[in-house]
Amino acid sequence: MFITQIVNWISTLSPDVLTRGLRVAVTVVIGLVLVRLLAVVTQRYIMKKSTPQRQMIVRKIISYTGFFIVLMAVLGELGVKLTALLGAAGIVGIAVGFASQTSVSNIISGLFLISEKPFAIGDVLKVGGTTGIIQSIDLLSVKIRTFDNLFVRIPNEKILSSEVTNITRFPIRRMDIVFQVDHGQDLSRIHGVLSAIASANPWSLDEPEPVIMFTEFKESGIEVMLGLWFAKTDFMDLKNTIMKDISARFAAEGIRFAHPRRMVRISPTPADAPRRRKARSTVARGRATSAPTA
Amino acid sequence: MEKTGIAVWDPVEIPQKKCAMWRFPLRSIWVERIETEWHVLSLPERREHGDAAYRLVARSQKPPSSQWRHYLHRDIGTMQPSPVLPDRPVVMRPDRALTLLPGQSTIFFLELPVWFRLSTSGYRPAKVFEEPLSVLTRTWFGDPVTGELCWGLATRLHHSIESVDPAADRAVCPLMIENDSESDLEFQKICIHVENLSIFRGTWHLWTNSLLAVFKGPDQATQIEIVHTPPGFEEGMVPLSEARLPSTGWNIRRTFGMLKYFTDF
Repeated sequence: MFITQIVNWISTLSPDVLTRGLRVAVTVVIGLVLVRLLAVVTQRYIMKKSTPQRQMIVRKIISYTGFFIVLMAVLGELGVKLTALLGAAGIVGIAVGFASQTSVSNIISGLFLISEKPFAIGDVLKVGGTTGIIQSIDLLSVKIRTFDNLFVRIPNEKILSSEVTNITRFPIRRMDIVFQVDHGQDLSRIHGVLSAIASANPWSLDEPEPVIMFTEFKESGIEVMLGLWFAKTDFMDLKNTIMKDISARFAAEGIRFAHPRRMVRISPTPADAPRRRKARSTVARGRATSAPTA
Repeated sequence: MEKTGIAVWDPVEIPQKKCAMWRFPLRSIWVERIETEWHVLSLPERREHGDAAYRLVARSQKPPSSQWRHYLHRDIGTMQPSPVLPDRPVVMRPDRALTLLPGQSTIFFLELPVWFRLSTSGYRPAKVFEEPLSVLTRTWFGDPVTGELCWGLATRLHHSIESVDPAADRAVCPLMIENDSESDLEFQKICIHVENLSIFRGTWHLWTNSLLAVFKGPDQATQIEIVHTPPGFEEGMVPLSEARLPSTGWNIRRTFGMLKYFTDF
């Protein structure tokens, strides 16, 4: 029924309109297939060794440009005056441009990020208070999966304008552990014990050598910094074992961690002297009366 | 039936209701077969010295542990234990700083730790498992950006094979060095790319390929050559394990690159 209606409608059209419609259809089909083919060939063969981000950008540029050309060709075929359309598009473009400043800024930032390559997919990134593994780097944003499995989308503009730390850029890292030990302990012995702890830990590299520094005399103790080098993949293993190692070995060696403490000393004033003498004599009398008798 | 020394690397048959035990100074390996499953246990030992030994024991003597690993394999043929070199380069720290003067050459016998590999030797041989037989430290060789993760080992520099005690858990690597430069060659650390070396079985020792290194100066790459024939320091040398990475052209180039750091310049 429906098909019959369409056939009847087509039979009412003039041959000129039919020819034009056919040409539009052919232009659309061939144009879209060609654009798709060009994008795939470029990505798979010409940019085979390029990074996924660059492949994505080139694919999108080819696709959008191709679609635009096909659209212009179709409009030309339909008899639309392109000069008038482009003039109108200019006005619309200005309006859209004002409305999409942020998006354009993100796109340009994305292009900078992709060309500068400060990180790649799979790196661990820290942006502000967010740390996670990069899932994708797109034109508008970078997608991150945090270690507690949250999906975070960070606009490229923000990444470009803020401090970004690529935690896994280099193959080895140093883990700094800072703590305080009580005043008055033998620092040379503590140095030796920390060296032994570092040597015994299987995840700590022996080269570059561990860094052991007594950094500051603090109010409650002496601050110590133990810096251990490790392969970037061993972060969790080292973190989990070294704290236990330090705690157990310090307990075995009798080395005391410093705890926050405050000593309050009350200095007597001259006016207090008679009262304190009286208090002392009262205490002495009390002791004499409560002493056991034979 | 007990085997000692390098005879522990002979192929073995493990009958039902028996448990095979390889005992090395720092590790013991227990293997038993139950139908198509291989059950394997690796335990640390605390002997610093001592010979390696292999024997079959009754199942009742196997240590109770939750660490037994189970592998499934249909072949029930003989098992082939074999020594293999570690999976990363080994950085050796000699016991003393030694300087090779210009124009001089020498030979060192380096003791490399081996890992225990157990394979099936049936119709389709398969690796069952691998286990280090000694404790190696992790170390970094080169600068923090372009260097390489290695195993670290303190070692003695032996000038003659007579001073090397025979051991089933160590392979001897003959390293011939020639100082073909005008400057002193100081040995502080030596990085050996063990993944390119094979293991041979001699009369008393396990051996690796010999290495020939020619030092051309601190600003030039040291040339190194792996001698592919068995070293001729013992009679009747037979191949035991192939190199993890046969030294193809790519590996040779990589080795040359790394050898810029051969003496930690």
